[in-house]
Amino acid sequence: MTAGGPAAGPASTGDFAVRVAGVTKRYGNHVAVDGVSFEVPTGVIYGVLGPNGAGKSTTLRMINDIIAPDAGEIRLLGGLRPGREAAAHVGFLPEERGLYPKMRVSEMIAFMGELRGLPARDARTRTGAWLERLGLGQWARNKVQDLSKGMQQKVQFAATMIHEPELVILDEPWSGLDPINADVLRDVVREQKAAGRTILFSTHLMEQAEQICDHICIIARGKKVLDGRLADVKRAAADEGRVALGFVDAAARARAEADGGPLADRALVAARHAGRGGLDAATDVEVELAAGADGGRLLAALVAAGAGLRRFEIVTPTLHQIFVDKVGVENASVAARADGAPEGGRP
Amino acid sequence: MSPPAPRARRGAPDWLVIARREFLERVRTAWFIAVTLLGPIAMVGLIVVPAVLAATSGADDVRVQIVDHTDRLGEPIATGLQLQGWKAEVVPRDTTEAVLLGRIRDEAIDGFLTIPASVLDEDPARRGDVTYQGDNATSQMVVMRLAGTVNAAVLTSRFVGIVPDERLPAMIAPVGFEPRHTTGETSGTSGTAVFLIGYAVMIVLYMAIVLYAVNVLRSVVQEKTNRVVEIMVAAAKPRALMLGKILGVGAVGLVQVGVWAAMGVLSMTYRAELLGVFGVEAGAWSVPPIGLDVVAVVLAYFLLGYFFYAALYAAIGAMVSSEQEAQQAQTPVILLLIVPMMCMQLITNDPRGTAAEVLTLIPFSAPILMPMRYVLDGATATSVAISLVLLALSTWLAAWLAARIYRVGILMYGKRPSLRELGRWIRYG
Repeated sequence: MTAGGPAAGPASTGDFAVRVAGVTKRYGNHVAVDGVSFEVPTGVIYGVLGPNGAGKSTTLRMINDIIAPDAGEIRLLGGLRPGREAAAHVGFLPEERGLYPKMRVSEMIAFMGELRGLPARDARTRTGAWLERLGLGQWARNKVQDLSKGMQQKVQFAATMIHEPELVILDEPWSGLDPINADVLRDVVREQKAAGRTILFSTHLMEQAEQICDHICIIARGKKVLDGRLADVKRAAADEGRVALGFVDAAARARAEADGGPLADRALVAARHAGRGGLDAATDVEVELAAGADGGRLLAALVAAGAGLRRFEIVTPTLHQIFVDKVGVENASVAARADGAPEGGRP
Repeated sequence: MSPPAPRARRGAPDWLVIARREFLERVRTAWFIAVTLLGPIAMVGLIVVPAVLAATSGADDVRVQIVDHTDRLGEPIATGLQLQGWKAEVVPRDTTEAVLLGRIRDEAIDGFLTIPASVLDEDPARRGDVTYQGDNATSQMVVMRLAGTVNAAVLTSRFVGIVPDERLPAMIAPVGFEPRHTTGETSGTSGTAVFLIGYAVMIVLYMAIVLYAVNVLRSVVQEKTNRVVEIMVAAAKPRALMLGKILGVGAVGLVQVGVWAAMGVLSMTYRAELLGVFGVEAGAWSVPPIGLDVVAVVLAYFLLGYFFYAALYAAIGAMVSSEQEAQQAQTPVILLLIVPMMCMQLITNDPRGTAAEVLTLIPFSAPILMPMRYVLDGATATSVAISLVLLALSTWLAAWLAARIYRVGILMYGKRPSLRELGRWIRYG
């Protein structure tokens, strides 16, 4: 690869952007990250999802060599060690946001660029472009402390991206952003991907992740729960065979569920779940297909029984549902309660 | 596919980027400019104001009354004082002390002399003292003039009849007296001036080290409270962070002390002219020449001393998480700085003694005391060299320890580490 000018875009960096292999981090008796492995392919948007305290921030910190893993190995961009070797190729937005309050906005951003190895002149030119892109042009000469929290966050994004890193790592990038700025950030992330960069971010906001991720990795209690392409994860979840049914009235539903009815047939239906995903509790039901059964056979049986069907849908679960299913209700509710609180995990 | 080669850094090294930021952030403040420019004015003020005050106030237009029990000394003393511009008069000897004290209270007079009859006794053992009571008896000038006039009058009265009158003034005129500092190499310069310069060097070094090293501590703690430290640590190694910070703040100190030193030297050189503006004579002492060797020694100890203490302060900054905590944690280091100040007298009293030798070898006190000792000509080139080597080694050790503590401690928020944890950090870092 070559160093590449700012216009050349990221250089080709091998077959993976991040490889985390069997990484463990302990704090005293507490295992913050427990043998986690995953691989981020080059040029994708990769989301690390999990409830607060799951070990997301600790993992991202290790990828940035802020802390060292107790076991396991991390390689970046096809083989670089985290830290000094990779510093010029990586941009990091930490969960703990912080800027020098007395610095001018433009100088703050240029400073971060220079710190990542950018020559002073390049840093200044790019700072101007980034401030315009984020709608902060008129604030360039103000001190950081004069800006609102949301604007400071945008300054921090610019400081993260200024050296145009091949790998952009964002820890909870949407926390504290209003909806408009959240959209701006999402656009920026997509632009970065279009430019061939890899974006790795953590979040506990499943809606954001679902809209933007190519790949996900779900972590809970320091362990990896699942990872893969978002589409594959969703298809796998869909193939688990959930079908949402709507009947014309409660009586029709009762007939179908009664002994001898198609929904009572253990060869077809393994379990029934009432009222999920905003279904009408009186007339609608979601069922789990039995092993070996498929949607077509269930539909045929229902039609044959003259069940009075209004709706028949193979359910593709939302990421939120997959998350709740995989992580478990107790963990997910911990996540919901702890929403917005900073992630723990350090002594 | 083989991993990419690490991208060659095209910009400045990270420690330099950090140092420049620290330097510019401080130098650009109005506070820095004010202190840098006003500092020397305060210094000039320190030289001029006392001289002006001592020369002008208190010793002119003094009103005294004289109670004379000898009947011989009162008039000559009054005349002598009147010649110096004072209002002096002899009052009847039965004027009571209460009445005279009342006049002081009413501010009719500033004070009164009481001359007992026994002052003229031939036997020194039975001679009484002349007393002066007044609201200005604390003024050195007033006391000096009174004592001089009274002594002249007493001497004159003793010689009357023994020495011809025309020769009397010459006989009782005092001789001049001038202390000169020397260690044998040169014929000596004004002792007062050498002492003052040595003292000034010590104060400036102490202040510079305290000011700027503490600045490093505050800067580290502020980065923690701002949470800036997280992006900084992601972008640069903690060692580069610490080095950059110490260098940047140190450069600020060097600029400031440099400006001060230049203005200080100027004001000493043109002292007579400066004092002349205020209508005061400069006095008899001469400014000893400040050689390049002195400048080199002061600079070397300022730099090493600053690095030594800045590294200690940076380590403390990494250990604590708030400014209040930092106040407590820095106490031991402050003590290390103050103790040498207390020992200053050991150097000035005997610059070539054992105590001075030992104190200027210890790395904690050497940066503050050795330049002073050198100015006082107490240190040989060998002892300066040994002391510098020791200080340089300790600085290296302190920086090494601080970097390890810094590496682990900088991301700690919350409780302060125990000594055992600290040991672990040093091994781990």
